[in-house]
Amino acid sequence: MKAPNTPPRIRIAAAGKRYQQHQIFENVDLTVGEREVVAIIGPSGCGKTTLLRCIDGLIPLTQGEILIEGSPMLAPRAGVAMVFQHFGLFPWKTVHDNVAYGLKLSGISKAEINERVPHFVKLVGLSGFEKYYPYQISGGMQQRCGLARALATEPRVLLMDEPFGAVDAQTREILQFELLRIWEDTPTTMVFVTHSIEEAVLMGDRIVVLKGRPSSVHEVVEVDLPRPRDRATLLLPHFAELREHVWGTLMADARQAEFDVIKNN
Amino acid sequence: MNLNSPWLRGATVAASLALGAVIWEVTGRYTSDAFWAPLSATLSSLREVAVNGVLLRQAMSSFQLYIAGLALAVVVGAPFGMLLARVRWLRVALEDYVLMLYSTPMVALIPFLLSMMGFGFAPKVLVVFLFAVFPVLYNTIEGARSIKPELIEVAQSFRSGEWQLWRDVMIPYTLSFTMTGVRQAIARGLVGMVAAEFFLSPSGLGQMIMMGSQNFDTAGMLAAILLIVLLGVGLMDLGRALEKRFAVWRGYNP
Repeated sequence: MKAPNTPPRIRIAAAGKRYQQHQIFENVDLTVGEREVVAIIGPSGCGKTTLLRCIDGLIPLTQGEILIEGSPMLAPRAGVAMVFQHFGLFPWKTVHDNVAYGLKLSGISKAEINERVPHFVKLVGLSGFEKYYPYQISGGMQQRCGLARALATEPRVLLMDEPFGAVDAQTREILQFELLRIWEDTPTTMVFVTHSIEEAVLMGDRIVVLKGRPSSVHEVVEVDLPRPRDRATLLLPHFAELREHVWGTLMADARQAEFDVIKNN
Repeated sequence: MNLNSPWLRGATVAASLALGAVIWEVTGRYTSDAFWAPLSATLSSLREVAVNGVLLRQAMSSFQLYIAGLALAVVVGAPFGMLLARVRWLRVALEDYVLMLYSTPMVALIPFLLSMMGFGFAPKVLVVFLFAVFPVLYNTIEGARSIKPELIEVAQSFRSGEWQLWRDVMIPYTLSFTMTGVRQAIARGLVGMVAAEFFLSPSGLGQMIMMGSQNFDTAGMLAAILLIVLLGVGLMDLGRALEKRFAVWRGYNP
């Protein structure tokens, strides 16, 4: 059904970002297809979150370009939604109002918002908590709310900025499998920034390893694990192989990188 | 003594107030009428002005002045504070003035206002306004500045325009801090009200205090003071309730 010349969902070409004297990343090339999940992994401070913000159009690149559906991302756009590491919920809004936020901004009528929100609240398992304020629910539930807020805008590109980085280990695992289930229902393009190797292998169709100072794409690992993925995926021998491979790539000169940080500062 | 029990707490407060009343009564009876009057005489004086309508007339006059000044302080202080918080150059330019005027005892400006504007209603409202506006302004600026940049980024990511950012983020966030300022303004405005009634043309409850003092009607003077004290306590409670109402969500630290 797809026209042969349809542009890829995301095309990143020779992208670079510089803050004053400090080059964060450079020469990043990446193409992400429809229904593809790309995990971006790299040591802290390698600029993976900065890259994600550039993809969202929140901050401009200094070199190269980022195209989504063929047109350059110069500002945040409909169809692209982000889930934040710090959740980014509005503490004065209830769960319902937080989930409704993106819809309200798109100028959708109140009646339609009230019709749509419960579906996404239910999708992330928060039914019954619509009237709660963020401070009244756990971190995991807050991030479910953050996810529902992004999903409610029915994005064609979902950007995940270490979404489970601020919740405890058990909650993190539960949320990973929930996200996989939700993605299976409505597979979209997803860019998933993480510093967990296991999470990258579990989520991604490909893993982009960012490394160096300034960082660039060091390696792209194809993750040929079958979908749907679930807890059983973790037990596959190939899962362990891939995890070890990424570990090796990432850690090869981790000690050197750690010492570089000190030198640079 | 376990003061966590509400009953015991209430009993302690009641006993303290009763003791205070007794001390007032007893000292009043053994002191010259020119300085101090017993509680019973104060209350009967209060009853007298309440019955003959003087109290209602004076209290209404004071109340009009107070509400006008306070409302003006909120209506000017809150939006201006948010504007200063959001427009950086404006804040840098005016912040020192705000701080200077916030720490100036406003009573010092009254003679100046008198010579500028005379004895009418307007200069009195201005006095109440000047007493009340700076806590509102200052707390609003501080509140609006404390908003997490992350939340503004979230709004931008969801394609919020400037006025939507104000509607959905800046105003609801800042309002709870503004209310802290309003609570302080409620108290300071009352001081401003009495000061205006003393130093500009005498009127209202301030006039009652002054007349009582000048006519050696100590009980009448104390009656007016007592009324202002009670008014202050009630208004402070109202202020706290308002503040609480707008800060339901502040149990959260994003």
